Parts: sequence; structure tokens; C-alpha cells
Amino acid sequence: METRELYETASLARLSLGEDEAAVLAEEVGRLLEYVSRMQEVDIEGLEPTTHALSEEPILRNDEVHGENLSDSLLDNAPELEDRFIVIPNVL
Amino acid sequence: MSDAALFGWSSTAEYCTYLDENDKKVGAFLSRTGADEFQSALERSRSEASDRSPLRGMPFAVKDNIAVKGLPLSCGSKMLETLSSPYSATAVEKLQQAGAVVVGKTNLDEFGMGSSCDNSALGTTHNPWDVARVAGGSSGGSAAAVAAGMVPFALGSDTGGSIRQPAAFCGTYGLKPSYGVVSRFGLVAYASSLETIGIISLDAQLLRTVFDIMRGQDPKDQSSRPFSPQASEKRQGEKPRIGVITDIEGLAPAMESAYRERLDLIRKKGYEIVEIELPMLEYVVPAYYTIASAEASANLARYAGIRYGHRTDWADEHSELTEKSRDEGFGDEVKLRILLGTYVLRSGFKDQYYLRAQKIRTLLRNEILSAFQKVDQILSPVFPTAAFPHGDAGLDQFQQKLADKFTATANLAAIPALAFPAGQSEGLPFGLQLLGPEFSEHKLIDTASEFTELWEPKTAPGFREWR
Repeated sequence: METRELYETASLARLSLGEDEAAVLAEEVGRLLEYVSRMQEVDIEGLEPTTHALSEEPILRNDEVHGENLSDSLLDNAPELEDRFIVIPNVL
Repeated sequence: MSDAALFGWSSTAEYCTYLDENDKKVGAFLSRTGADEFQSALERSRSEASDRSPLRGMPFAVKDNIAVKGLPLSCGSKMLETLSSPYSATAVEKLQQAGAVVVGKTNLDEFGMGSSCDNSALGTTHNPWDVARVAGGSSGGSAAAVAAGMVPFALGSDTGGSIRQPAAFCGTYGLKPSYGVVSRFGLVAYASSLETIGIISLDAQLLRTVFDIMRGQDPKDQSSRPFSPQASEKRQGEKPRIGVITDIEGLAPAMESAYRERLDLIRKKGYEIVEIELPMLEYVVPAYYTIASAEASANLARYAGIRYGHRTDWADEHSELTEKSRDEGFGDEVKLRILLGTYVLRSGFKDQYYLRAQKIRTLLRNEILSAFQKVDQILSPVFPTAAFPHGDAGLDQFQQKLADKFTATANLAAIPALAFPAGQSEGLPFGLQLLGPEFSEHKLIDTASEFTELWEPKTAPGFREWR
């Protein structure tokens, strides 16, 4: 895989990569892609894809609150808080 | 007398000392429940769990990608090194209600991606049989803890073989249940259509007990399903007809001769062995890595450096914050799979890779279902080699991926699979695997127990045996 193509993919994956890292990963992703490309040999004409194992129908439940309110302990794991707001750099 | 004494320890202090001393050699745990906390959990179990519960007061370990309230949930990643879980996985809760007590969280390849535990950013786990070798992965910490007699059972997760391969490397049983039979609520998502929570133990009957307590449909996991074993309970009392895959190319020579030797023993014992062909086996690894990486790229998008997990020290604006946090927080193997997954889902490539992999999955499943018209269970190797050495002397990451073909088959087909100890080859344990139709977990455990009687597997030398 060309490094340019890797950088495009990395940007879609929201990963900033250093130059050395990108060169190594371009080679490794390329190697795996080439390997998985052997799937082209298989005749898949007329087959349905299996998207999710054994799920016949979506299983629904009533829209009711279950369990305890976890908001405080979830917020405790945030990197930076101001009151109950999670802080990020300015968007403007 | 404390509850730990019921399992052969004279006191909880003696047990905790054993854990401390032996984990220095093995490195199975990333975090441990404090001694006081453990003691009070034991007492709670004693007062709350039923007298008749076989798990009352029994310690167990949990892979560190499965949530236990108040304990870390690191996934072996710098990204989640400081995360403390606000809730417990349903599977863990059910075991706790039955009286089992969590002693700690075990090491894994980062986010479950790997076959050695060497991809963990937070610790190194050694094989109790030979500490120069890996314990396998990704549930290597759980398998090592069980093999070293530190816990009678441990939870792992299995996306492409992550319970069964370390079980084989450490000489234990390892069960990957049918997809959806054990709730995934509280399992950190990697490849949602493939992964299951399962069990590692040296005791097949305990494995069955733990499975029966853990399973069940869960309103918190909409992909969970009721356990309906009716179809697989036929032919009760008869010896199961065993299918063996003719194409076992790529096994290390010592493994191949050990495998054939075991097969002969089984045949001599009167089991009918039927050769079966699975032409799609050759495409299991390509399809598996395409699907698993695609799902991983979507699931791991949640680590943005914003709500929880690693955040970079400085960024001018929020997209830089996310990109830098992800670059710093994820290890090489995780980045590789995110990139592969993102690529195969890119517009223009999706039909060629992701959709094609899903259709191959359909073909594989059809082949397996038709095999189960002819045989009751399928016997296969688990991994082409025994536990390999750490580092460059071992298998590289690419070779490790190619070696997933026997295990990943069960994940793609959503069927249960059980690795069981098959004895030693050149001083290291090796495992065999039974695959069965969905919901045939009990029958797999029965058959594996019968097989292991034929060679009476040993436990890792130098450690206390948990019986």
C-alpha cells in the first residue's frame, strides 16, 4: 500500500501517524490486504451475506429505565471536568 | 474457618500469599482485589449465597476486557489504563450471585488482538509450563492463572480463538460457547458479531457448572439468546460420531504426530471417526480478519480522548485532540487492525472485501451445517504449534494470524467449541478442539471428559494443583 493511501485511511480512522510509523504500517496493512484478497478466488454468486450470527429478528424490550443511574461514576472517568461538563479544546 | 479453606487452603492469607508469590513468576494478573476487599467479599458470599451453590466462596479471575464494578478495565491498553468500571458484566454478576468471588483482572493482548499476550501494553505473562514461552492469547492471563493453580476457573473472551488457544498452550480446558448464549453486556466490544465470553478451567465439570450459571438471555444484550439444546440432546447415551478434517496442513511436525496418535487412541476406544471436508477452511483466516478488523474499526471509534480513556497533553482543537490521543493510546497491532478495517469498509472497496467475507461466512456455515448431518462433533487441532517463545524466537504477528484457521472457524459459524488438554508433546502441553452444533456445549464437555480419561493430562509442574 502506498503511504499516501495509508494516510488517507488513517485520516478516516482519526489516527495521526508519525512518518516512521506510517511506513511500517503501510507495509503491514499492504501485506494483510494482499493476503485477504485471496477471497477473490471463491465463487460467491447468489449467496446472501451473514451479517450477524444467527440473528433472525431484532429482539426488542420496553423503553424503560433499568438499574442504577451511573452518570456520576461515568463522569469520574472523564479526563477533564468543569462541574458536570466534560472539557475539550475550543472549537471556535 | 474461612470459605477459602473449603477449597483446600488453610486460610485466605495463605491463599493470597500463594497468589503473590506465584504471580511474580507468571504475570497473569494486571490488577488484584485487595486482601481486605477479598475477605469481605468472601464473607458476603458466605452470608448471601445459597449453601448449596457449588461456587459459594470460590475465587475466580476475569480477563481485563470484562467489566467488574470498581475494578480497572484496561483491556491491556494505555488507552484505558486508568479506567475504573462503573458496572459489572452480566456474566460476572451471575457468578457473584452464586457466591463466586473475583480475585483480580488478567492480562490480555491489547483489546483482545493477538495470540501471545505480548501485545499487552501493561504487562508480560509467561507460560507456567516454561516461563520463557508465551501463555497464548488473547486470554493468556486467564489461562496462565488457571494453569498455575491460582484460581479454579477464569473468564476469557473468544473472538477468533482467544480462549481456546491459550487453553491449549497452558494445558487447560477452554470453552467458547455458541454465539449469544452468554450475555456480552460488560464485555468491551472488539468484533461484535464474533465474540463471546467463555471459561477456562482444569476441571471439565466445574466448567459446565460455571457455564450453566453464566448463560441466559439478557435484556441488556439484544444479541443474547436463550439456550435451547433440544436438537443437540438427541442420541443420548450413544458414543458421538466424530468428524475429522482431512486438511490439517501446516501443523508443526511434533503436533501432527501427537494429533494422529490421539486420533488412534480415540478410534481404538470404539468411537466412529468419519473424515470430512471443509473446503472453506482455507478462507477462514482471510474472512475472519476482514470481518474482525472492520468491526474493530467501528467499535474502537469510541476512544476519542474526550469522555474517558487516554487524552493527549496538548491539542489546539478537538480533532487534533482525538487524533493525537488515539495515536498515543493505541499500540501497533490495534492501529494495524483499525487501519485494515477502515480500508476494507472504504467506499469502493466494501463489496470486494467486507461483503465478500460475509458471503464466505455463509458458505462456511453451510459447509459446517451439512457436516453436522453426517457427524455429531468435529475434532481438530487448536493451533499448529505448542506455546512459542517470547519475542523474535517465536512466531511473528503475521504467522500467528495464519494459525487461527482452526479456531476462527467456530466464531464465523457461531457454533460452540471446546479446547481440552491432550497431553504433552516435547514437554509442553497441547490441546485438541471439539466443535459441535449450536447449543451442544454439554455434549462437547461430555465427550472431552471421556477423551481426556484416555491420557490423563498432567498439570503444570511446580504449582499447586487446584482440586
